[in-house]
Amino acid sequence: MSNVQSCYQCGKCTSICPMRRVSKTSPRSSIYNANVYGLESKDIWTCLTCGLCPQECPQQVDFLNFIREERQGKQPLDIAHLGVFTELANLSSKLNGNIADKPADSKIGFFPGCVDSLDLFLHDVKTNFGEITTSSVKLLDKLGMKPQLLNMKCCGHDVLWQGKKDIFDALKAHNKKYIKESGIDTLVTSCAECYRTFSKDYDLGIKVVHISELLDKLGLKIDADVTFHDPCRLGRHMGMYDAPRKALTANGVRIKEMEHSRENALCCGVSNFMNCNEQTKALRIARMNEARATGAKTLITTCSKCLAHFNCLKTEKDAVNKYDFDIVDLSVFLARQFGEPAKKEQASAGSSKPEV
Amino acid sequence: MNAEAQTPIGDAWEPNILAFCCNWCSYAGADLAGVSRFQYPPTVKILRVMCSSRVEPAFILKALKDGADGVLVAGCHIGDCHYIDGNKNAEIRINNTKKALGKLGFDKRLRLEWISASEGLRFSEVIRDFTEEIKKLGQNPVKEVKK
Repeated sequence: MSNVQSCYQCGKCTSICPMRRVSKTSPRSSIYNANVYGLESKDIWTCLTCGLCPQECPQQVDFLNFIREERQGKQPLDIAHLGVFTELANLSSKLNGNIADKPADSKIGFFPGCVDSLDLFLHDVKTNFGEITTSSVKLLDKLGMKPQLLNMKCCGHDVLWQGKKDIFDALKAHNKKYIKESGIDTLVTSCAECYRTFSKDYDLGIKVVHISELLDKLGLKIDADVTFHDPCRLGRHMGMYDAPRKALTANGVRIKEMEHSRENALCCGVSNFMNCNEQTKALRIARMNEARATGAKTLITTCSKCLAHFNCLKTEKDAVNKYDFDIVDLSVFLARQFGEPAKKEQASAGSSKPEV
Repeated sequence: MNAEAQTPIGDAWEPNILAFCCNWCSYAGADLAGVSRFQYPPTVKILRVMCSSRVEPAFILKALKDGADGVLVAGCHIGDCHYIDGNKNAEIRINNTKKALGKLGFDKRLRLEWISASEGLRFSEVIRDFTEEIKKLGQNPVKEVKK
């Protein structure tokens, strides 16, 4: 249960809320409506769950938990892409699914997340999401880890935050069984959302590691200026600010920080595929402008959704020439320094790319 | 579509197929099949859409999740689209959906066919063929797990 009763309506949350700059969303009034009237307000659906407001709260109200609990069992106002990822998770949650038949030879498991379905259903974004997986595996191989690829179902992050806990529970039960059968003791993910879900919502009892914690030992010498965008799931939800930065600086990369970074980083605008509209686009533009102002040639992030949303903005007609920097995932950026990926790898990773 | 909305014929199980037919070609083709009295099994429920590219992957996934045994998407032949290149976009979309379904073992339950307004016979053949294939595959596993 969230300690939402202790809210004394100071309104600090509303003044920091990124959605408040572009819409009438108010975290304060959504708590007020729930506490005083027991009403469901529209604001619980426009919330980005970015985690900025709990940092400011003098009463330390667990606003994220409040939003998540309020959403349970209710019909979402809007899900981007007509909820195709929700439907896919829902369909797979109803099936038996395969279970790891033999214990792995490697004690380290790597979970690629939903890069496959992102590649298939977001082909307009012109981003090779599959390369995140191939790069991560390549880097882990370079570190001598030889991970085992886990063929699990979706981690269930999106459906959990969209208020569909029954689907999440079905996915969680299957994944927990899978992990137990596979006998791994370390789970590595390359996605900030998977990392958050496996460490906070799963209670697995094994070590969950985000790949950026491992990459500082690569020993590369890269001469580049980059800027880093903190995904909300990795930063404010998990408190991991230094690991991805260390992974970059240890390999010789210079980081040019944006105006808002670390704890104050702006949200990419569309968390867990809830909202994609004019308001969230304004947030994306604000963040992209900050990135451009640093003058860095590359924007690096560790969340596949941030990557999708920023790259999506770049495909729009009026923004094509405006943002002349690359937006890449951390592991993709580092793996590219080992030379361009071989053609075969690229084909397997981006096989879903249709020729338009 | 409701999972219980199957077509019971006697006691035997019959497939339950959802067909998205585009208004300009395939729906007219289905109409022609009816007018010309071409026989096809009553396993299909036709849903008219304005273009095959109107069919979002989410619709297909939702139909399969709710217990449809097969989903057919039918549109105009390439080059004949009423909206010039709608069916080209549909092809990309449906093929991508098929790949996503392949991981779950559902890829044979989705089919994309081009049926023009004059191909009533072809419409009945496609339905017959698809029904046979679904019969071989058996019931949608979603329903089995439910039981």
